[in-house]
Amino acid sequence: MALLVDIFGYLSVILHGFVIVTQSMMLGGLLFLTFLLHPLSSRLSQGEMLERRVVRLTRWSAWGLLLSELATTALQVSVLMSTVDLPFTNVMQASFAVAGSIKMLCALLIALCLGQRSMATPLPRALLLLAGLVELAAATATTHAYARLDHNALLMAVEGLHQFGAAIWIGAIPSFVLVLRHLQDVDSLRRVGVRFSRMSMLGVACILLSGITMWVFYVGDLPGFYGTAYGVMVGAKVAMFIGLLGLGLGNFLVTERLRKGRDASVTRMRRFAEVEIGIGFTIFFAAASLTSVPPAVDLTTDRVSLHEIAVRNAPAWPRLSSPDHDTLAISQLQTQLDQDAARDHQVAQAATTPGSGILPPRNAEDIAWSEYNHHWAGIFVLLIGFMALLSRAGVRWARHWPLLFLLMAAFLLLRSDPEVWPLGQEGWWVAWRDVEVAQHRFFVLLIILFATFEWSVRTGRLKSERAAWVFPLLVAVGGAMLLTHSHQISNVKDQMLIELTHTPLALAGVAAGWARWLELRLPGRGGRVAGYVWPACFMLIGVILLWYREA
Amino acid sequence: MPLHCRVAIVILALLASLNASAHAILTESTPKLNGSVSAGHQALALKYNSKIDQGRSRLVLIAADKSETPLAITAHADKPNELDSAADLKPGTYVIRWQALALDGHITRGDLPFTVTAAP
Repeated sequence: MALLVDIFGYLSVILHGFVIVTQSMMLGGLLFLTFLLHPLSSRLSQGEMLERRVVRLTRWSAWGLLLSELATTALQVSVLMSTVDLPFTNVMQASFAVAGSIKMLCALLIALCLGQRSMATPLPRALLLLAGLVELAAATATTHAYARLDHNALLMAVEGLHQFGAAIWIGAIPSFVLVLRHLQDVDSLRRVGVRFSRMSMLGVACILLSGITMWVFYVGDLPGFYGTAYGVMVGAKVAMFIGLLGLGLGNFLVTERLRKGRDASVTRMRRFAEVEIGIGFTIFFAAASLTSVPPAVDLTTDRVSLHEIAVRNAPAWPRLSSPDHDTLAISQLQTQLDQDAARDHQVAQAATTPGSGILPPRNAEDIAWSEYNHHWAGIFVLLIGFMALLSRAGVRWARHWPLLFLLMAAFLLLRSDPEVWPLGQEGWWVAWRDVEVAQHRFFVLLIILFATFEWSVRTGRLKSERAAWVFPLLVAVGGAMLLTHSHQISNVKDQMLIELTHTPLALAGVAAGWARWLELRLPGRGGRVAGYVWPACFMLIGVILLWYREA
Repeated sequence: MPLHCRVAIVILALLASLNASAHAILTESTPKLNGSVSAGHQALALKYNSKIDQGRSRLVLIAADKSETPLAITAHADKPNELDSAADLKPGTYVIRWQALALDGHITRGDLPFTVTAAP
């Protein structure tokens, strides 16, 4: 069972991401109901129906939080019981278990008691808000702040403010989109838009204030920012936050025009809000993976220097010829083991055990092998972006560009893990235990899926509007998953230098996915501009891949 | 406990253990990493970057012959980021295998190899 450690560890980061998403949606929904929808309900067309729908969404979010928190707490409790040999009653007194139980109780209370009737009366409404506040307080007890040696009270307040800001802005956007979808008259749209815009600004202010404070206490200085995994992930969050601010500004301008009684594109506001949900949730998953690394201020050794980054990224011609499979370290080790076994008349041992946590040997040829893979993948993606641009410009044959993705998927499946079938000794099924192999296969599956859907849509084989959404959504999900992608290389600096390349790849993937979404969903000039943005993002991904170096 | 329950607990344990595999980190220790101490009764101290739940953490001393001895942890309220213990050590190579529960709920593990030299 120990062989499955890595793969379960990867899944647990994903689970933590769900906790953050559901918590934000539950708190955001509560705040949206209390401070926006309920006060405006009587003045909105279909106000009662809208309130019912948002109540239902918030209740579902509470159930989601209850389940994901239950899973997380159960895991932590189980590990302590089995590894430190403590009874259940003892472990449940640990601070994380107490905090987790409080979070679950609050979520249960909100899931059971939230309804239109409870929202209509001041006392139950205040009690529901109080339950949300208690949940938020408990959540801060499972953040970095609670275990810090200094400035606990300040950092706890700041972490609480950060989560509050995320809930009021990102967590409430699904409720906002839900309401926008059903509002028809301009007056109602103006009321809702203006008030949500103000709430969002408060959320942004909370995030900015807390984010800057956390930067000071957790990142510390510039070398901590670019030289540690924590700093790089914070950088990714900041980049996405800036993207969200841009979309938020677009929505603010729409609401301002509505407020002044002028014409404005409500469709654009809806579409931008949809993209805000996607990018916001990606930030939550980045935050989940951020909790698995120590704050940069604590990692004062083994940081990557600017000089090392510059040396690694110095321009070099792409590697377009592959080393022979027999020259890889793993092949050579296997040959040696086979020879030893034959001499002793025994069955040869396998050179690696997938998922064992023991890193396979690497030599210069392995690095060349990996760089060759990345560089050819870069050529594929660059070509795909270029053909997509040609197709956008009206070149008919270029619409078949998704087929190139299928070629690329076959190339990656064959070459990304040379120790695994069909090139290596390890069987197809046993290799799933290795987290890196599993992640590579997951990405191959994603590529095959979205390429098939997109080709079918572009050639008219699939006519459904929803089928066209598969490509942008899977590209955006792939980008988000890449933010949690991990490469196992023993040298921490090497891992960091690779992460510095993969993070921009992930961000470009997220941007490409949501730009394509806008092209499909946003009519007019905005959609046309987005139609050029996403192929450009693909071309950028291609260039980054061509630039990729491991030594 | 039935087998399937044990299996479930181990799976869940492994899943949780990697949730924050690099969170609480060892910043200082006595003996030092790959350092040496004299034989005899020795105080052992592991210092972390975070506050630690001392009652729910674990230290195990592993000798060169792979034998494992759990070490009792002495709780100190004034040293919230330390795991303190003591052991009677004979010359040889040892590893302290530690598992620390940070107050925020993150569990981390690691090995601290060191050598014990003959008392002067």
